[in-house]
Amino acid sequence: MLRGNRELWLAFLAMILITGFYGLVMVLTREIPPASELFGHGLGIIGFVLMLMTETLYSLRKRSRSVKWGRMANWLQFHIFTGLVGPFMVLLHTSWKFNGIAGVTTLFTVIIVVSGFIGRYIFTRIPRTMDGLEIEGTLSQEALKQARRLLALWHTIHIPIGMVLFISAFVHIGAALYYATFLK
Amino acid sequence: MRNNRLGCLSGTGIAAALAAILVIAGYAYVRGGLMYNPGPLSTQGAQLLGGVTSHAEIGGECQACHTAPWEEATMTDRCVVCHTNIAEQMRNAATVHGTLFENDPSLECRHCHPEHRGATAPLTVMDEVPFPHEVVGFSLIAHQFTAAGEPFACDDCHQSDITTFALETCDACHRQMDLGFMTAHHLSFGSGCLDCHDGVDRLGSNFDHSIFSFQLTGKHADVACVQCHVNARSTVDFAAAPLDCYSCHQQDDAHSGRFGTACAACHSPSDWNDASFDHNLSNFPLTGAHVNVACENCHAGGQFQGLSTACASCHAEPAFHAGLFGTECAACHSTSAWTPAQFNGSHRFPLNHGGGATCATCHPASFTTYTCYACHEHEEGEVREEHLDEGINNFQNCMACHPNGEKD
Repeated sequence: MLRGNRELWLAFLAMILITGFYGLVMVLTREIPPASELFGHGLGIIGFVLMLMTETLYSLRKRSRSVKWGRMANWLQFHIFTGLVGPFMVLLHTSWKFNGIAGVTTLFTVIIVVSGFIGRYIFTRIPRTMDGLEIEGTLSQEALKQARRLLALWHTIHIPIGMVLFISAFVHIGAALYYATFLK
Repeated sequence: MRNNRLGCLSGTGIAAALAAILVIAGYAYVRGGLMYNPGPLSTQGAQLLGGVTSHAEIGGECQACHTAPWEEATMTDRCVVCHTNIAEQMRNAATVHGTLFENDPSLECRHCHPEHRGATAPLTVMDEVPFPHEVVGFSLIAHQFTAAGEPFACDDCHQSDITTFALETCDACHRQMDLGFMTAHHLSFGSGCLDCHDGVDRLGSNFDHSIFSFQLTGKHADVACVQCHVNARSTVDFAAAPLDCYSCHQQDDAHSGRFGTACAACHSPSDWNDASFDHNLSNFPLTGAHVNVACENCHAGGQFQGLSTACASCHAEPAFHAGLFGTECAACHSTSAWTPAQFNGSHRFPLNHGGGATCATCHPASFTTYTCYACHEHEEGEVREEHLDEGINNFQNCMACHPNGEKD
């Protein structure tokens, strides 16, 4: 069980470490780390980069036919790890304020993580090799067909949510650069 | 079915992205930049500046305060469009803003005046900028460390809002430091600490009163401040303390006002009893025996001014003068003693007669009678004998025949 969910445990461990660091900063500065200052801003930037990696790397590897770096199963584990730790850091970056576009971005971040969890469990219903290829014959045709249909449906929902999330994240980043980072 | 595109670039993905862009653009078109608002703007403000009384009223107009990164202007330039009075202060080093900008020309308004922190959040926060506190009339030179030895933080005195100050704050700390003193101090001088204290002068035990015209010498050095500075509530009140003796010492006047109000003419601050009136400054200098006469002998009934300087006002002519000399005592007498006196009036008989004679030599009984006898040449027996020999019977009236004292 532990081995099977290694990425979840690692993500959990990373989140505990980050939370500990967050608590330390909070105690030292006697305030909730603001989104605009070194620590809070760093959380947002790194968290977003992790989310961007979640969105792109696994997808690229899955569709790459010429070069096949690493096993799909490991990429999926990495995808899950960054898909949990990234949003968690972004959540801490909010400094628990959810105004405007930044709040919308946070909302979609939470939704995409929940959606990701659901997708993962639909996905694992279809037996695969370590390279992600479906193994035929272990499920009944009916069950396999149903699982594939469910996965396709999930994709149709998950991907648009992700797109909305990234659009709003980019607007938020643009506005932050315009109104805060390059503030004169 | 498989392709090389990213998974997100599916039909629904692109459609969702476009929809999101449309929604955001639409919202931006209708509500301005409100969606980028990181927190509510302040609703505080009483003055009408730039057509509004608070930042919240122009919340959607980001460009009212924000400049684009590629613009030359800074946010400070936007601030002073409405806050024109601050723009003036920034050019005047005598003001808080002027001093701040003089100390650090790179300073921007937002460094001390953060926004988007809530409707009622403080609009002034001095975390990063060294504030020239003396410019507001109270130096922090004596407030570097708390009673516990900790460096002072702004909120030790200012609580939530740095632009306001509650006088009770002084009281709260200083009562902890010295309750007795503070209680007395309050009773004496009120609770408007800042009316006298500017953070530099302690104005307390090591206050140097000698810098003022009224020197605290003698017993004045031991007097409590409040004895002279009664009901003083400000430095202006303190400076208005009376400088003349009588304003404070009227109730001490043992003379009930008869000596006037210039106490210092006789008294010094060392002691009331150590009075030294220089009578010689009056038009009746005390000489001779007058020096030792008690004041009351002349100034009876407490009258010290307007007394006659004539001798006769005190000295009646004695009976033995037989009314012959008048009251111009000083014509013959000095203040040293009544006797000897030097008769300087007109005298029918030469006063140099016989030499060394006193009045009593010729006038032993009274000044209305005289005798020529009792001198070596004037034995009554001899005189009778000599005059009878010459056939002169009337020899008793010497002056009738010898007006000059001569024989012939």
